[in-house]
Amino acid sequence: MYIHRHTCISPQPTETSFLEAVTPSAEGKLRAIEPVLEGVPPSMLRRMSKAVRMGIGAGLPLLKEENIDGIIVGTANGGMEDCINFLNQIIDYEEGLLTPASFVQSTPNAIAGQLSLITKNRAYNATHVHNGLAFENALIDASMLIKENAGKSYLVGGVDEISSYNYNIDRLAGWYDTQKSNADLYMAETNATIAGEGAAMFVVKDDAREAVAKLEAVEIFHTTHKDEVESRFRSFLSNEVADVNHTIFISGENGDRRFLPFYATCEYAIGSSIPVVRYKHLTGEYPTSSSFAVWLACRALANQALPDKLYKNEHNLTRIDQVVIYNLYQGRQHSFMLLKK
Amino acid sequence: MSRIVVTGIGIITALGDTAEENRSALQQGKTGIGRARFFESRYTKTLPLAEINISTEALAEKLHIDPLAATRTDLLALHSARQAIADAQWSNETLQSSKTALIGASTVGGMCLTDEMYADANATSSNGSGYLQSYSNSANTSFLQQQFNVKGIVNTFNTACSSSANAIMYGARLIRNGMADRAIVGGVDSLSKYTVNGFNALMILSDQLCRPFDVERKGLNLGEGAAFLILEKEEGALEKNKYAVVAGYGNSNDAFHPSSTSAEGEGPYLSMKRALDSARLQPGNIDFINAHGTATENNDETESVAMQRLFETVPEFASTKSYTGHTLGAAGAVEAVYSILSLQHQEVYPSLHFEKEIETTKLTPVVSYNKRDLSHIMSNSFGFGGNCTSLIFSKV
Repeated sequence: MYIHRHTCISPQPTETSFLEAVTPSAEGKLRAIEPVLEGVPPSMLRRMSKAVRMGIGAGLPLLKEENIDGIIVGTANGGMEDCINFLNQIIDYEEGLLTPASFVQSTPNAIAGQLSLITKNRAYNATHVHNGLAFENALIDASMLIKENAGKSYLVGGVDEISSYNYNIDRLAGWYDTQKSNADLYMAETNATIAGEGAAMFVVKDDAREAVAKLEAVEIFHTTHKDEVESRFRSFLSNEVADVNHTIFISGENGDRRFLPFYATCEYAIGSSIPVVRYKHLTGEYPTSSSFAVWLACRALANQALPDKLYKNEHNLTRIDQVVIYNLYQGRQHSFMLLKK
Repeated sequence: MSRIVVTGIGIITALGDTAEENRSALQQGKTGIGRARFFESRYTKTLPLAEINISTEALAEKLHIDPLAATRTDLLALHSARQAIADAQWSNETLQSSKTALIGASTVGGMCLTDEMYADANATSSNGSGYLQSYSNSANTSFLQQQFNVKGIVNTFNTACSSSANAIMYGARLIRNGMADRAIVGGVDSLSKYTVNGFNALMILSDQLCRPFDVERKGLNLGEGAAFLILEKEEGALEKNKYAVVAGYGNSNDAFHPSSTSAEGEGPYLSMKRALDSARLQPGNIDFINAHGTATENNDETESVAMQRLFETVPEFASTKSYTGHTLGAAGAVEAVYSILSLQHQEVYPSLHFEKEIETTKLTPVVSYNKRDLSHIMSNSFGFGGNCTSLIFSKV
């Protein structure tokens, strides 16, 4: 499967400049830059949650440029803010007469649904919500569609928002810390991380011509055992990566000390000479943040370089042929991805 | 390519907690919709609901699960998935192979605990809640993954009311594309204040027993349920009991409105058409349709229009939502099980409470139980956000 075009909405400016300065987090959160939505009726815009706005903001420009044969979105929560707004109304008004707008907007499939509605796209349409693997499943779905239907183009992406309520639940569960910041995210030797949000969308085809990158492999699994991650990563490398020269390793390290051994194991397994790139200080943690990692991999392959400050250590890489991504979400959900030039 | 067959089924709805109990109620035309006993909401007095006849605590005990570690949604999913796996007679080794996939679906997820979620979402400091990881749509799939230690691809769909139809479609495609050798596919939803209030705010809940495809229909009744199917390649299941073949599937978006279907039923038409194409069947090959048939003003008319556009003569059809209520994210899987039971026993189950046809479309669903030859059954699931999916099951 080849990636042809991409857009990214994140806490950092990504389209106008390329990660030149890092926007600082505030109170343990990195909020995405509000997208500019052109061609969306104001009445529709007013009702959209930020997840929907980000999804439309990232997806619409790609959908407008060519005929797309399917829209596939990975989002753990969709419009969670609307969801909890409606939940609060239920409790606060003791199940009184409520307005349905928040209810309708709260369904996670509102992003893919609105994208199809605005562009009158009646093709395949799916929303994957499997938390930290929602985006990876969207990629798997798209890669199967490409095999099933020759010559077609698909829009695939990952979107999640910080909602104040969902943030609260994840904070109580020990995943987020309001005191942490992205300035020293990787230095803190404590549990929990900072929250983030964003949307990254891709147009994928089976056509190599003028492609930005090739998505070679995606592997997903659940475990809490480091040994299992190591053995699966080693077999992923031996099956998929014939030659590790000119490779970078994008790590989902997020400053939560509980996950460090998993990342360290994979860094060791791929080899200490492979430069490690980290991105959670740019995006914060969210279930579909690996969509940002894929976007970053596309930029790395296209530009043949990434800003030095993204590298964990000094490196002397002058050429990037392939990118291996490892991400771990909330201690159980793992994904490996391989992208090539 | 080997055909994909169903080698196990598991189900729990207001009609019962086994496939046999569900079938028996369907044969007798006995609805599961009535007054809820366990679900707490101010609407239980006025709205008929299709509640599963067991408390969450009793279900947890029956399944040997700590009731504080699982939601009703998790438990319903576990009940039916265990049944399906046992039915397919899988060994632990098969279950835990890296080529075994688990694809779930839910719209409510752990939000059946509306009050607990409200408390946790608004809590300012640690409150000792045991449910912090339980609320998401995918929590029930993750719960199953842990219970069974599934090592292959795991996913959850939420495309509203077509969620579990998409889970079945995805599982079949994973097998067809060599990304899995077998899959546990299905979906679950529990009654929740969230959905009862949501659908009530949309004014599409009926205060009477729902009447799919009737001109006087007043809306849907909400239900709860879970159903899972075991999908395997036929070549690997030669010795096994095979219920049906997953012959085709089609997915579309109606691209009309967030919560209603276009007058011409474009999305439903396309999903049915694509299912036929993928099964390499002609409209005339379909013997029966398990309709989406929610009994809302909008759905039944637009689904009828779509059926009339696609089929020269509309096949026999019925809506089992007149038995189970609308089980939302579980509906596609629940109705897949009913379609499979129809094929297995060569019988069709009647739609309940139908009296008079819709004036514009003049379609009459099957209203009495009968035995007949069935080769191919289509099952429709359409949801908010325009998501439409149709599945075709065929006789083995």
